[in-house]
Amino acid sequence: MFKVYSSVRKELLLLLNDRVGLSLMFLMPLLLVFIITIIQDGVYKVVNENQISLLVLNEDKGKQGSKLVSVLRESGLFKIDTLGGSGKKGSQESLKSELLAKGKMIALYIPQKFTSGLEINAGQVSRILMDDLGLEHDSVQAKTAEIPALSFYHDPVLQQNYTYSIMGIIQSYLSVIENSLMIDNMYTTMDMENQSGRLKERMINNRVKINPVVASNNNSMAVPNSTQHNVPAWTIFAMFFMVVSLGSNIVKERVNGSFLRLKTMPTSFMLVMFSKMSVYVMVAVLQVTLTFSMGLWILPRLGLPELSLPSNVLAFASVVFISSMAAVSYALMIGSFARTQEQANGFGAISIIIFGAIGGILVPTFVMPAFMQVASNFSPLHWCLEGFYILFLKGGSWQELGKVFLFLGIFISICQLCTYFKLKLEKII
Amino acid sequence: MKTLPGIEILHVSQKYKSSRDNTLTDISLTINRSDVFGLLGPNGAGKTTLISILCGIIPPSSGEIGFYLDGRILSESERKRVIGFVPQEYAFYEELSPRQNLDYFGAMYNLPKGQLEIRREELLETLGLLKSADKKVSTFSGGMKRRVNLAIGIIHQPGILFLDEPTVGVDVQSKNAIIRYLQEINRQGTTIVYTSHHMSEAEEFCNRIALIDHGRVISEGYLVDLKTENNVLDLQSLFIKLTGEEYRD
Repeated sequence: MFKVYSSVRKELLLLLNDRVGLSLMFLMPLLLVFIITIIQDGVYKVVNENQISLLVLNEDKGKQGSKLVSVLRESGLFKIDTLGGSGKKGSQESLKSELLAKGKMIALYIPQKFTSGLEINAGQVSRILMDDLGLEHDSVQAKTAEIPALSFYHDPVLQQNYTYSIMGIIQSYLSVIENSLMIDNMYTTMDMENQSGRLKERMINNRVKINPVVASNNNSMAVPNSTQHNVPAWTIFAMFFMVVSLGSNIVKERVNGSFLRLKTMPTSFMLVMFSKMSVYVMVAVLQVTLTFSMGLWILPRLGLPELSLPSNVLAFASVVFISSMAAVSYALMIGSFARTQEQANGFGAISIIIFGAIGGILVPTFVMPAFMQVASNFSPLHWCLEGFYILFLKGGSWQELGKVFLFLGIFISICQLCTYFKLKLEKII
Repeated sequence: MKTLPGIEILHVSQKYKSSRDNTLTDISLTINRSDVFGLLGPNGAGKTTLISILCGIIPPSSGEIGFYLDGRILSESERKRVIGFVPQEYAFYEELSPRQNLDYFGAMYNLPKGQLEIRREELLETLGLLKSADKKVSTFSGGMKRRVNLAIGIIHQPGILFLDEPTVGVDVQSKNAIIRYLQEINRQGTTIVYTSHHMSEAEEFCNRIALIDHGRVISEGYLVDLKTENNVLDLQSLFIKLTGEEYRD
């Protein structure tokens, strides 16, 4: 027991003497969680909040522009903030600056000839219909006009699919107005202007419904907010960054002959590895404790969302443990393959940044292109994060976590086997 | 009284996969108990490889090695308890203090806590490290680091001690302190197997030597006898006579 104690103590002393490693493992995640959560909070709010903030500049001279704004407002999907139309040139330009200054992510510009354009278009459609049906109509030369175009401004940080979704919603409400105008126009042409209500009612309200169902175990409606993404994400990132401390620690022991010296002693090399793993798993647990404490108590004080902890404590502990084992095993492997500390630090750090990028740490995988979402499956950081997502957002069960444990288990086994064979090849084991 | 053999090396050869030729070829030596046995030879002769094989760091490609104590061959686990190894490199933790290093390596030699503490303090004092016992080794001079390296190898009072260039790169004071201490523990019964490039130091320190060149033993025996047989006055002349004067890589 004294031997185990001495071995663990030595690892602890080495760790405490590694100030760069300590700051990378403890200070870096706290700073990253703090900074990135603040930065990303606006974007997550746009995705998560029930109402989408929309800045509108309506310069339409007729009724339909106001009607569109009113329909969008009544839909309950948008929180509309209007800008007074100056009618001056450059008012569209000012919309851009207002968009950013007011903290909105999207804006809509309704041009001056919006109503007249829509009405002319509706008239043309109804005349075509009357002609085709062989019905009489006013033969006065029909007016022609271009279909009016709305301008949709969006912040460049918004993902393309998100902006398309919003444009789709606006387009759908615009169709309601256009259809309504066309129906009115046709009934007026047929001298039945007061009888269009029933058709409009039927066409507008009796549409195929889509029922939203959240695919989670407990039907939780939770979606990630900036805290729920960033706290586990950067904790995992920092866990894997222990490669800088543990990896270079192993290289040093390999290169200076300490490992070979141990081979001449009546001790098992497994004790050395066990001590290293124990100490660095403890480091990972401490990292989780620190960053999660920040998410629970400090971020809410800054007006950011509070971290909600999962109810299944055992599953939470298991995800933390397997994530830390994956990080430790990766660091051991890098440490056993690198020839110098510089190699271990450089390759280790860069590989973690790449794994982090494809694994959804820097940007969540759900906003990535499809092929990158497939690539993310090859990042251990993705599976660690997936474990936390399942716990926090999907009311995760053991069954759902099984896939996470399986992948990380395979990853850990591969890293440990590679480490074993490399050290065996070097005659250290 | 019959002298009991300490180590018996029989037809040991070593060939690394990466090299074309054997690093060691058919080495057979007997190292008696309480010998100070010098393994001497030019650069690349195979001295460090032989010491690594004797310490169990690498297995020989062929041949056998037996460690004996009181006429009985030792098992591998017994051998590990009996031997001490002081490598040429500073094989310890420079971020830790000498005290912390000795605590760790002493525990790895299975020393009980109380015994380890007594032995640790004794060594720190004997090797002149007591004043700096709690400072990081990384701040030490080369000589102090050599003494720490030695202290770790002898913390468990080994019966057989392997020393690979124990005084390389140190000042005269540190070298004298190390050699004096090694002579003292040899008088107490520790067998010492030692490599060095310092011929005058080896001449003063060793009673028996083996000269190795190109992986083969070219001469072996008591130093006095070898000098007489080869009609030379000192070890350096013997070394040059047997290994030649050309440069070695």
